[in-house]
Amino acid sequence: MSSIKKIKSLDQIILPEPKPDETYCKTLLDREFVFVGLKKLLGAADFSKAGDRIAGLAADDEISREAARAILSGLTLQHLYDRPLADDRGITDSVMRVGYDIAHEVFDSIADMTFGDLKDHLLRSPDSEMKRIGPGLIPVMAAVLAKLCDVHELICLSKKVRRTTKARTRVGMPGTLSSRCQPNHPTDDLRGVALLVYLGLSEGTGDCLLGMNPAEDSVENVSAVLETLDKIRQETGVPTQICCLGHIKTQLACLEKGAPVDILFQSIAGTDRTLIDEFDVTVDYLDKAYHTMAEQGPLSGQAEQWMYFETGQGSEVSYGKHNGIDMTVCEALCYGLARRYDPFMINNVTGFIGPETHLDNFEMLISNLQDHFMGKLLGLPMGMAPCYTLHSNCTTEGQQMATQLLTAAGANFYMDVYYGMDRMLSYFDTSGHDNQTLREIYGLKPAPEYLTWAVEKGIFQVSEQGTVRRGPNWGNPRIFCNSDVEFQKLLESAPAVYGLENAGPRVANKIQRTLRANQAIAREAIHTDLRMEELDKFDVRVLRTKASSKDAHLNDPELGAHIALEDITALQPEDCDVQVLVSDGLSAEAIHHNMDELLPVLEDGLRSRGFRVSRHIIAPYGRVKLAEEVAEAVRARLVIGLIGERPGGDALASRSMSAYMTYRLDGEEEKQAAAEFSGNSDIAVEVTVISNIYAGGIPPLEAGSLIVEKTGEILENRAAGNRLATLLRDKEKRDA
Amino acid sequence: MACHLTTPRKNAVHQVKLIGLDFGSTTSSAIVARASMGRSCITGRMKLGHPEILYRSFPVFTPFADGVIDESRIRRYMDQWLSESDTRLEDIFAGGTIITGLAALRSNAQALARLVSRRIGEAVIATADDPSLESWLAFMGSCSVLSRFHCDTPIINLDIGGGTTNPAIGLNGNVQSTGCYYVGARHFRFEPGSYRLQEESEFGRQLLTHLAIPLHAGEVLCPQDRDRILDFYIKALEAMVMGTYNFFDQGIGRIHEQVRFEWSCPGMMPVVTFSGGVGELIYQHAAGETLPGTTYFGDLGIDLARRVVASPVLAAGLGEFVPENRGRATVYGLALHSTDISGTTLYLPDTDMLPLRDLPILARLPLNADSEEWLRALELLHKGSCGGCVQLISELSWDPNGKPSSLAEIKAAGQRLTAVLKERPLTGKQTLVLVISDNAGKTLGSYATNWGQLPLRLIVIDEIPDRHAHFVNIGRCLNNIVPVSFYGMN
Repeated sequence: MSSIKKIKSLDQIILPEPKPDETYCKTLLDREFVFVGLKKLLGAADFSKAGDRIAGLAADDEISREAARAILSGLTLQHLYDRPLADDRGITDSVMRVGYDIAHEVFDSIADMTFGDLKDHLLRSPDSEMKRIGPGLIPVMAAVLAKLCDVHELICLSKKVRRTTKARTRVGMPGTLSSRCQPNHPTDDLRGVALLVYLGLSEGTGDCLLGMNPAEDSVENVSAVLETLDKIRQETGVPTQICCLGHIKTQLACLEKGAPVDILFQSIAGTDRTLIDEFDVTVDYLDKAYHTMAEQGPLSGQAEQWMYFETGQGSEVSYGKHNGIDMTVCEALCYGLARRYDPFMINNVTGFIGPETHLDNFEMLISNLQDHFMGKLLGLPMGMAPCYTLHSNCTTEGQQMATQLLTAAGANFYMDVYYGMDRMLSYFDTSGHDNQTLREIYGLKPAPEYLTWAVEKGIFQVSEQGTVRRGPNWGNPRIFCNSDVEFQKLLESAPAVYGLENAGPRVANKIQRTLRANQAIAREAIHTDLRMEELDKFDVRVLRTKASSKDAHLNDPELGAHIALEDITALQPEDCDVQVLVSDGLSAEAIHHNMDELLPVLEDGLRSRGFRVSRHIIAPYGRVKLAEEVAEAVRARLVIGLIGERPGGDALASRSMSAYMTYRLDGEEEKQAAAEFSGNSDIAVEVTVISNIYAGGIPPLEAGSLIVEKTGEILENRAAGNRLATLLRDKEKRDA
Repeated sequence: MACHLTTPRKNAVHQVKLIGLDFGSTTSSAIVARASMGRSCITGRMKLGHPEILYRSFPVFTPFADGVIDESRIRRYMDQWLSESDTRLEDIFAGGTIITGLAALRSNAQALARLVSRRIGEAVIATADDPSLESWLAFMGSCSVLSRFHCDTPIINLDIGGGTTNPAIGLNGNVQSTGCYYVGARHFRFEPGSYRLQEESEFGRQLLTHLAIPLHAGEVLCPQDRDRILDFYIKALEAMVMGTYNFFDQGIGRIHEQVRFEWSCPGMMPVVTFSGGVGELIYQHAAGETLPGTTYFGDLGIDLARRVVASPVLAAGLGEFVPENRGRATVYGLALHSTDISGTTLYLPDTDMLPLRDLPILARLPLNADSEEWLRALELLHKGSCGGCVQLISELSWDPNGKPSSLAEIKAAGQRLTAVLKERPLTGKQTLVLVISDNAGKTLGSYATNWGQLPLRLIVIDEIPDRHAHFVNIGRCLNNIVPVSFYGMN
């Protein structure tokens, strides 16, 4: 039976007015620690993480952190309740307000407890106490408890709660470990998607969801993905639910047109500024979406839940819209928002953003455990996706340790990204092999409905004692195709499938070696410095950015976007047509592997076409937006920024770079035309991008002449980007 | 500073319409397909992917009148097919028409090819009596995907039609050798449902003479003589797949050979697959389906299919290796494989320079060809009025996974061509088209024309696989991509 939750409107939620910052003091031995305001106190009480450090919220040292924790331990729940965290304008936003929609009778019963007492109480109490108390907590309280817990405590407390939800399958039941199969494809190729789903199903994944992130968020494309996933679901008979993780508005438009939106997805954030400005959604809209699905969703009347939210520490910090609130608290606020809609699943992707939020394995791992605990405490069905990008210091081993701890803590599900390498989003997540490995280590099964189906397919076998083992068809996606020809066509549609051979629940060693070698090569490309002596053969000058080291460059994207103060005066107006600017960006190797064949062609072409070209600039630790400052400083009409792209899991592609052709708008007429076209009255530059320059994409020697051609078009038409494309299209029509 | 950023989609996909028309010894048919044009996320090369058949005509008997192909009925069929498939000529991106087998031997076959070409339009190649192309198309249309699935197993595809058997051997989806033999179902035409002979082909008559079978039109072929004819055909087919060329070295065997099928797979026995009208019947019979009654089609097709299934040499792979499109392999190959598409960074100063039809391939030159070699090719070009094509051969031409040509090689080739063209300039509307497997078209063209400063009608098309052919059609540019179709492969 469907159970539509009665959602309290925002204005019906009562919460106290924000109060002025108070000063919290604590003396440890002979040192006194002072924290002004709850936000500072909360930030200092957490483990040190990159995002909080960049935001100036992390404690300076361990003693400061313990001082803050000691203060928090002594505060009552009522103290925190009475002090809602305000945004930068001093008001409580809607996400904070939603968190106050709690079971007041529960809260009243514990309001006078200190956080230290509450933590001890929960550890001493039977499992059911976690479940009883959670609904009486505002999210910030869950965050405080998380900050007071060590690893064992985070696991021990999390394990006390299981949250089961039901759509076509029941997820989160005791003794189960489910998974979301994530068949992401760089071009949304539906055959490739089908292959990746078949691979997942053959490994016993997807019992929670078949859910794909689309590369293109259009109604047409998302509908096509949904129809494909639904067709696979029906043809294979697998009991599960499907989702295409486009924007919620896109999904609802698809639903309106009759597409099978089983489960409705949205990324959420812990502040209104991030939720509204960056994720383009409001609490009111989410309320409406929840009701629309309840009434019109394909599983209406069958599913008990139908919403799916993705969260993860750091998005508010990375957008600079955290309101001075640390990452863990922001994450807890996300859960307060999610709780409002009794979701079918929460997926936590802490680690996805990169080193600017989580620098290394420890930071990623501890955040995952905190998030899992907070979500469980607040009554959410927590799935976990401990993940990483190669420009952080996180590794496969760190991710695997995280999954071991999170499984011990009772996570509902993990992701299944084939080989753990996302082909569209260029990050690393858990795989179907990881899911199966964890199931075998911890004696866990898939969702019961799914298990019955998988046994019929020979994917699993169940012994008389009820032990679930891999069956003869485990890892064999061919069983879902009618012919070798059909299967081959699928195989030819998905990139980076290096073989289907397995060794028990793991990929065969030869495949693993390929994957890990690719990672090593890609990681080296990121972390290697530009070898300036190899670039000396070109006529270049060096420009420093505000990033003084590789670490600084990787950990704070803003630094590489600006010229170092001491070098600003080094650049004088040269009034040239073209300035070439070379930066390592996120792959120094991309520069070294392309420059020898690209730059000579570019120089020949620009010279032959008669453009005035300044002496090239090389800027180690540079980002794309550095071109804007350079354009202004040298007064070049066009800056051709050659910069390394962020590597994913493909070794060759780690040598991929882009040409960002930044056209500096000059004169009122140009600026006005650009402003009218873009709707942005402050527009100062337009950018045309030629990406994928490497041996496996546009070879550098060919990219050189392509950039020359594009330079001619930009300077001739005095426009770049979409405006240039439109001008050229119009011209073509006129000529025709 | 605010900026306006645009990043092109990584793999914008464009749908195109393709057509294939096959006029064979027995039947004629048409296919209209749709395919997506985009960069393969695996190989990085442009490709026509995800083919989807929009229309399949019912096969019709190829119309003959007074010993030649009946052109007016062919015209009516084409109109009917275009109408039924709701295809406008301007919507056709590429495709092919081929007149094959015994139809290709009729005196008006070439004229018919021209007629079809005029009717269907500039985008489509039209050729008659191009047996190696037919063998290649049949392999590609029938078992190229299967061959890639069994990538280490050589596959011989026998495309058995009414007049000819077109064998092709391929490995991992690539055709390595082709041939053509006058072994087919329709060299003896019977009254349907009986063995009363109505007509025999020239090859049928010679076979009767060789076998000393005194059979004439109006008489009934007895079972023993039928089996002797079929014995010969089966031995011929077995000789093709076993590589015993001496069967065709002399006498009646020699008469039946049009293009020798030579191949070598040391230590490996190829698997045999079938396509064509007889191929269709072979798989039906192997699958236990009921075949129509004897000589239902008025020829030996059904008997030949039964005998193939009974041959251990020919039938070994029938169960495991099942190709697609069996009976319609050629027309499917025409629609989907007769055209290669270029990369997106070709050198094409003016899109109005295209299309170019029936361009002779003047030479296949190595990228480092010297001035003399270029001059000889240009001499040939000057003998024609409209231009010609030079295929530039580099390591990628014979090994798609090989090392791409370096900047030094591309630049030197471009500069050599500049010098030669200064010495022997193109005249009037002569267009020189260079085709290369490397992704280097724009740069090669830029150096050859000194970055557009030399007033040359030069086009450089890149990312085109090496094909051995005499002619090429280059279609109109669509989204910076052009279709390239080779023909005349004998």
